[in-house]
Amino acid sequence: MKRRSSLTAIAATVALAALALAGCSSAGTSSGGSGSGKTTHLAGAPSWCGTKKIKLAQLDGFGGNSWRLVTTASGEDEVKKCASVTSYQYANGNGDTQKSISDIQAFTAKGVDAMVVFADAGQAMLPAIRSAYKAGVVVVPYRVEVGGKAGTDYTQFVGASFVNDGVNWGKWIKSVIPSGGNLLFLSGPKGNSQGNDELKGMKSVLDDSYKFINEAPYDVTNWDPALTQTVLTAEIAKNSKIDVIVSDFGPSLVGALPVFQKSGRSIPALATSDGNALGCFWKDNQAANPDFKLFTVATGNDNVRLAVDWAVAKATGGTPPTSNTFEAPVFEDSVSSSPNPVECEANLPGDIYLSAQLPKDQQTAAINNK
Amino acid sequence: MSNATMRETNRLTTSRFRIAPGFVAIAIATIALFAVGGLLAPSSVSHSAIVGMLPFAAVLAIAGLGQMLVVQQGGIDLSVAGGISLAVVISTHEPAGDDSKLGPAILMAVAFAIGAGLINGILVSRLRLNSIIATLGMNALLYGAVFAVSGGTPRSTTKLLASVADGTTWGIPNAAFFAIGALVVVSVLTKKTVAGRRFEAIGANPAAARAVGLRVRVHQTLSFVWAQLLYCLAGVLLAGITNQPTAFQGDSLLLPSVAVVVLAGTSLLGGRGFPISTVIAALFLRQLQQFVLALGVDTSVQTLVQAIALAVGVALYSVNWASVRRRLITPKTSQAIPV
Repeated sequence: MKRRSSLTAIAATVALAALALAGCSSAGTSSGGSGSGKTTHLAGAPSWCGTKKIKLAQLDGFGGNSWRLVTTASGEDEVKKCASVTSYQYANGNGDTQKSISDIQAFTAKGVDAMVVFADAGQAMLPAIRSAYKAGVVVVPYRVEVGGKAGTDYTQFVGASFVNDGVNWGKWIKSVIPSGGNLLFLSGPKGNSQGNDELKGMKSVLDDSYKFINEAPYDVTNWDPALTQTVLTAEIAKNSKIDVIVSDFGPSLVGALPVFQKSGRSIPALATSDGNALGCFWKDNQAANPDFKLFTVATGNDNVRLAVDWAVAKATGGTPPTSNTFEAPVFEDSVSSSPNPVECEANLPGDIYLSAQLPKDQQTAAINNK
Repeated sequence: MSNATMRETNRLTTSRFRIAPGFVAIAIATIALFAVGGLLAPSSVSHSAIVGMLPFAAVLAIAGLGQMLVVQQGGIDLSVAGGISLAVVISTHEPAGDDSKLGPAILMAVAFAIGAGLINGILVSRLRLNSIIATLGMNALLYGAVFAVSGGTPRSTTKLLASVADGTTWGIPNAAFFAIGALVVVSVLTKKTVAGRRFEAIGANPAAARAVGLRVRVHQTLSFVWAQLLYCLAGVLLAGITNQPTAFQGDSLLLPSVAVVVLAGTSLLGGRGFPISTVIAALFLRQLQQFVLALGVDTSVQTLVQAIALAVGVALYSVNWASVRRRLITPKTSQAIPV
């Protein structure tokens, strides 16, 4: 294990020297596991936890919603599993790219050994990430692609498989309306790759009898609940037959779905991501809406855990996980109740995510403590 | 001298009954929009589309009325985004789903609004800061408060607020009644009270108003306070309508709030305000959004259509068409006309 970490250090030094000599970065080979196995989190003493003592920092480009708070708390919880991490720090970029960049520089200057970075600004963050990596820090960007290459610009990228989400939704849609029908797909800002990947996943499962009635490739909502509501209102008025709504941010639909009832129609089947508010909304409204079936995949708070595992393993000399891609598991299915029936904790905040590994009370605490 | 006074009096009397050109333009545009919508995209004028659109039009109308009061004093209020976002965050985060805490939370939001309005007003009227600079700074401060109160995370709306703001009475969204209420209050206060008439006079010509002995700075300060109170109402309604709001819900209202004021014909140099036209302009902008969504065109085209409509709407009455016509058709005689 020690040998592996010293090799990493030598590699980093060589890369730095090459950069200094050539004035540009050399093309490196992608390192790290490329397996496609399922995510595993070992209980007790995980194999990714090596013996070298390290300091770790978690960086967020934007920390201002409950999903991020739960994700941050999940990252901290994962770090606690490994006693070799002697210091854990967190920084929130508040949606400001400049601050996110200076956060990375500050932590590098403070001498942290490993960073997990949620790089909301995407490729704009790559130079800062690269310079931290060249300075010898183990850098693991996750979820949002930053460009560049593992081993050259950062240690390892831990992505999320949105294609996989699309495949899961597609399979469920096939089971609920086997003979085809009208689908309405809502995603975030125009051009976001998450929506494109999800559509790719769905199209790999669904044939032409399933018609997407939204603007191609998806209706733009910016993941803004107000715009979501406006867009859904227009689609409901325009289309007398909507069989399934697909959305990659389920809880933002809670304010919009009552539009169906106001139009005297049943809420249709919904394939989306989970959230306590959505589960409770389904429980409250499913009796009055016969067509309202609900299927959710986990929103992926646990993506950060895989990133922490990678960062800690690389910095402490542990064994990295076999997978470098987080595949969100299916969470709820109101039709088959498998793997779970729809869950609702009515006395807990609507903004917690029951699919996350982090216990409910810790999620509530994370949200209430800001 | 007496003749001059008579003439002036007559002119004032007739102008009171003249329909504002802005009102004519925006009313025709709105009716035309509904008519064209009925022909090209019938779903945009269906009952469900209009019921879904009205709450958002109401929120924009209320925010627009606030912005109008500031514009009447020759200012512009960029803290509308922060003001609305703060009201959203306070009215959702403080009660945390508990209906009984909703009242105190709204009072707290009102207190913040008054404070922000006073600071804006003092900075602009007493310290003579440019309103763009002062309110831009205030906007940053308000977002600071958003983070201080909540860490930037609003919570789900309480059931009570959702049922009030997103409910319907006699088939009409409740938010529309709030907008009508705000319109009546603003119209009566500015058009039918002595203070309101002074308010408009000061906006039209602060120097003359000061010479007459009117309390210019008090009225200017109060315009910002009233504006913040209206933003606060808009924010609380928006929190109830969206159910799961974000901490930045006010951002998307900044530009539209100025647009409705301009579309309504209120001069950015200050003076007379047009509350009814402002509310109709809000209806116009939101219905336009429904219309382009119903057409099913690409998002980029949707944005373009809205921008063009805005430009045409403003040009309809802000350009002196008579003068343009004169210049184009009879260039020679135009020089002969005395100014």
